[in-house]
Amino acid sequence: MAARHSNRTWENTPAETDEGIARREFLKAAGFTFLGAALTGCQRAPVEKAIPYLVKPEEIIPGRAYFYSSTCAGCNAGCGLLVKNRDGRPIKLEGNPDHPLSRGGLCAVGQASILGLYDSRRILQPLQEGKVATWDEVDRNIIEELEQIRRKGGAVRFLSDSISGLTTLATVEAFLGRFPNARHIVYDPLSCSAILDSYQQTNGARLLPRFRFDRAEVVVSLDADFLGTWISPVEYTAGYQEARRLEARPPRFSYHAQFESRMSLTGSKADERIRIAPQELGLVVTHLAALIAHYAQVPFPTERIESPAVPRQTLEKIAQKLWQAKSRSLVVCGSQDVATQVLCNFINHLLESYGATIDVGFPSNQRRGNDRELRSFLEELQEGKIAALFVSSVNPVYDLPEGDRLAVLLRQIPLVVSLDGKHSETTEVAHYVCPTPHYLESWGDQESVHGVVSIYQPCMQPLGNTRALVESVAAWMGMPKSAYDTLRENWEAKIFPRQAKESSFQAFWDHAVHDGFVELERTPALAVRPFASDSVHPILSARALGKDEYALVLYPKVGILDGRHADNPWLQELPDPVSKVAWDNYACLSPAAAAELRVEDGDVIRLESGLVRESTPTELPVVVQPGQHDRVVAIALGYGSKATERFARMGPRWLHAKATVGENGRVGVRAGPFLRLTEGGVEYWRSAVKVYRTEKHLALAFAQTQHSIEVPQHLATPGTERRPVIQQASLEAYLNDVSSGKQREEKEHEDLWPPDHVYSGRRWAMVIDLNACTGCSACVIACQVENNIPVVGKDEVRRRRVMHWIRIDRYYAGEDTTLEVAHQPMLCQHCENAPCETVCPVLATVHDSEGLNQQIYNRCVGTRYCANNCPYKVRRFNWFDYPHEDHLKNMVLNPDVTVRSRGVMEKCSFCVQRIQEAKIEAKRNGEPIRDGAIRTACQQSCPAGAVAFGDKNDPNSFVSQLLRSSRRYHVLEELNVRPSIGYLKLVRHQMEQEEGVRHG
Amino acid sequence: MNSLVVTIVLGTGLAFTAAFFGRSISSRLPGNQQGYEPVQPIAYSHRLHAGELQVGCLYCHFGAEKSRHAGIPPASVCMNCHQVIKASRGAIRAENEQAQRENRPARTVVSPELAKLHDAMTSHREARIDQKQPPEPLAWVAVHRLPDYVYFDHRPHVNAGVECRRCHGPVETMERVRQVEDLSMGWCVNCHREVNRTGVAGKAVEASIDCATCHY
Repeated sequence: MAARHSNRTWENTPAETDEGIARREFLKAAGFTFLGAALTGCQRAPVEKAIPYLVKPEEIIPGRAYFYSSTCAGCNAGCGLLVKNRDGRPIKLEGNPDHPLSRGGLCAVGQASILGLYDSRRILQPLQEGKVATWDEVDRNIIEELEQIRRKGGAVRFLSDSISGLTTLATVEAFLGRFPNARHIVYDPLSCSAILDSYQQTNGARLLPRFRFDRAEVVVSLDADFLGTWISPVEYTAGYQEARRLEARPPRFSYHAQFESRMSLTGSKADERIRIAPQELGLVVTHLAALIAHYAQVPFPTERIESPAVPRQTLEKIAQKLWQAKSRSLVVCGSQDVATQVLCNFINHLLESYGATIDVGFPSNQRRGNDRELRSFLEELQEGKIAALFVSSVNPVYDLPEGDRLAVLLRQIPLVVSLDGKHSETTEVAHYVCPTPHYLESWGDQESVHGVVSIYQPCMQPLGNTRALVESVAAWMGMPKSAYDTLRENWEAKIFPRQAKESSFQAFWDHAVHDGFVELERTPALAVRPFASDSVHPILSARALGKDEYALVLYPKVGILDGRHADNPWLQELPDPVSKVAWDNYACLSPAAAAELRVEDGDVIRLESGLVRESTPTELPVVVQPGQHDRVVAIALGYGSKATERFARMGPRWLHAKATVGENGRVGVRAGPFLRLTEGGVEYWRSAVKVYRTEKHLALAFAQTQHSIEVPQHLATPGTERRPVIQQASLEAYLNDVSSGKQREEKEHEDLWPPDHVYSGRRWAMVIDLNACTGCSACVIACQVENNIPVVGKDEVRRRRVMHWIRIDRYYAGEDTTLEVAHQPMLCQHCENAPCETVCPVLATVHDSEGLNQQIYNRCVGTRYCANNCPYKVRRFNWFDYPHEDHLKNMVLNPDVTVRSRGVMEKCSFCVQRIQEAKIEAKRNGEPIRDGAIRTACQQSCPAGAVAFGDKNDPNSFVSQLLRSSRRYHVLEELNVRPSIGYLKLVRHQMEQEEGVRHG
Repeated sequence: MNSLVVTIVLGTGLAFTAAFFGRSISSRLPGNQQGYEPVQPIAYSHRLHAGELQVGCLYCHFGAEKSRHAGIPPASVCMNCHQVIKASRGAIRAENEQAQRENRPARTVVSPELAKLHDAMTSHREARIDQKQPPEPLAWVAVHRLPDYVYFDHRPHVNAGVECRRCHGPVETMERVRQVEDLSMGWCVNCHREVNRTGVAGKAVEASIDCATCHY
């Protein structure tokens, strides 16, 4: 080549003389290749088949969505569901607005639970010794072995979590009744056993009362995260919110004090938050009880009680508030110490909460676990007395403190049968696995609260050869019967007589299946005897910690809970609502403790708890958590399970990709070994833990890196100490002057654009009430399901490439003792003067005639200018083609929303597919769109009802009314981008003396 | 490497490509399927049904009013008529005459095309008895298709009174269905602009030309 070119005149053309392929050659080859590609590309699109039904079910029209009522089994709370079905498969879960407990909300776990249905790693065939077998084989062998055990009088144990389904309970009971020595052991991985035990002592019946937050004007929570993870968060959030409605006439605004050791979601909403170490809880409750007893003039022994670490005047203030709101106040306690719970009952008794804010006559069945029975079961296991064990919906090898040892003991039992649909640590040691279907595939019932019975109904053909628990048990009794028949018969015999509304069973049943639940006549469940004070004993002292010692607190994280959904990538990628970390668990330390240990976010620490069996030291990265007690290390439960090994190849594969799983091949570290099984039950804290710094560092996936709403002192000029992103006011100031807390004066802005865009028809707008928002993140997952948002993996989250269209910003203000937390959902603001639109070179993002800021994927070329210019940072870029090769998992995709490909920008669309659907249906029926007919996914899911959506041009619409509220403000109003989303100012009870400081 | 060799190699490659794919080259833009007329599993004639016999479009494509998709009719809808009508009159008459001649009872005549439909329905019924064997449905070839990022909805169009032929062409004259229009975005938008001026079937309509009407 070089020789040929050398005699030309343009000798100094550099590339031509180089070795390898010259520029011209390359271009020539590229030209030919392009032409070839163009030739082959001009072909017809691939042939696509359209396969209709042979015989169409009468009620189905392909392409239309149908909703079936059912019940959520994401946890034991039993929230009502409407399952959205498209073309024969469920694609989205919505809260059932008529359900008496959940009232239309659904939490993040519930929203995400649909993905479990399309999990290609579910167990879909019965297993015998780990190998696929037939039901006939498995049943024959189990029946044979059981017959032998029965003849020998061997002990049969059935281990499960709280089953509140009457049909299931009855079937299990009938099954166990056939053996001379059989027992049903119930334990909850997130145990509330102490509450039930305390009622056994004080009221003579082992029950979990129903807490009525909607009736409470003063709520005092002692380490109970009732808005986040405690028992029934959706029900409690709805109730809590109802008691905090400023727009009600007269305004209702409950007072909420939270005593806790770590920073919980509930604590972040509290009006008064008091940090206490877990060992001080009993003492604090005793002091509170003493104060209330003093007001009530009831004798209470107060001698020899240590003084608590909490200032006396704070306790007095809270006690006074409780006493003033007698019979309208509520004290809840998350402790696993029975004596503490008894004291809590005593306080509630003195406050006359029973019958008002606490319902013991119609108790809850959401937790029925008995940890003392679990203890005796474990002793039996230890002694090798158990002949047969059935395990359903719990994973004891993972859940319980000494899991590894338990696995060895379980292997020694002659017959272990697991009734689980997912591979777990326990199914590994089971001789037989009789897989149960996903709850959206089978019939069932649940009486989560006495008198409210909900139904599960199958919403699609089962994907595998699975069998419901009642079917398996019936088969082993030699009376095979379908779950549907069992359910119906049981309802006819037991539930139908408990109501008087319907006279025919068929009509009753039809209504129940249609509604998804029935409310029965209110006949009390148990004989509850009046409160007996003789069991109340003060707790005199708190065990002090030595120097350098910490108390370790194990807590369930929103989304992951006890780890039962650890295999769900949506929940793993959901940032913790408080710490904002995804894909990991970590050791939370207060800023002071972190400073003392000289560690920062991501530095790895080693924990030593003095456990004999501690073979490998537990090492965890640190997250500095403001608001946490200085002598507490908090670690989330539910991590490090076998189920998370599936995430080994999570995330896009590229040169700089890092693994989502840790060194152990799993997500996070299992905290189970630190649990304690004491006399009373499973304890979620332990004292005297030593913490050592290591030299290691782990990059954590923070979804938010700026935490403070205050401008650093050296940068703040007068008037700018606080960023005006979130506006808030104290209740007292707000009631005096509705404009208090406003940080910027609204002034007329000069516009660059002529006012030539008139929105003559509809104009969509949203209002988010920051008072209502708890930060629970249900909306984040709801949006993810609705809008086909991909999961990107830990490394990509760390690189700030998480794809969530709605995120919840969490801001801190103030110091540790006076820390305030604010949650602010942030999504595309659909600005009228949208900065993103003016910079798009290809007009891929433009405004429509109804005020929506549209993002047109097929037009987008991926310059990312729009994301740069967005002041709210809500635009998400597809850096990769996120995987869609799991065909089963793809069945959850919403067919009404495009699956975006690489190089495309995306963002919140205000659920335009729902708007279109409503518009088309309204047109078809010749009606106007009713206000409230369009509910965005985030709005539908919100347990607190914090989101409103509608037509701003209709002055009577709910959203217009809210936009006229005195609390309304816009984020970054001064930019004059005119967002379509209005926020309602955060209002809280605040201590008077700090008034001046808090809103400048 | 000699540049000439490269040119020859690439040129040969191009010639091959042209030879293999040349037939499908057209002046249309990629994705334009105008004129597409695939062979269907059953030689169903729209000319006969919609043209000669005047069966209304919505009798079979009943989804068009209520759903995003007009839908391909379930085989059971065909059976509403074809339970009785199994062959052409000529074929039946020929069989009758033959039977008379041979002095035997006439056999039921089923046309080979309808036999496919009957087979599908029978296999379905048998499959119901034996759950393990999935029924074999009729797999028609989709003719009018839009890219995945386009959400066309039949409901507003049909309910506003837009005639089916406006987009699908004179189907009642087609033996085998052919895509008449190019179904491009320009074609959609032009019509939306036009009807906003002229209305549809004498009524004023509001046909949006916002992007998010179809793209989301």
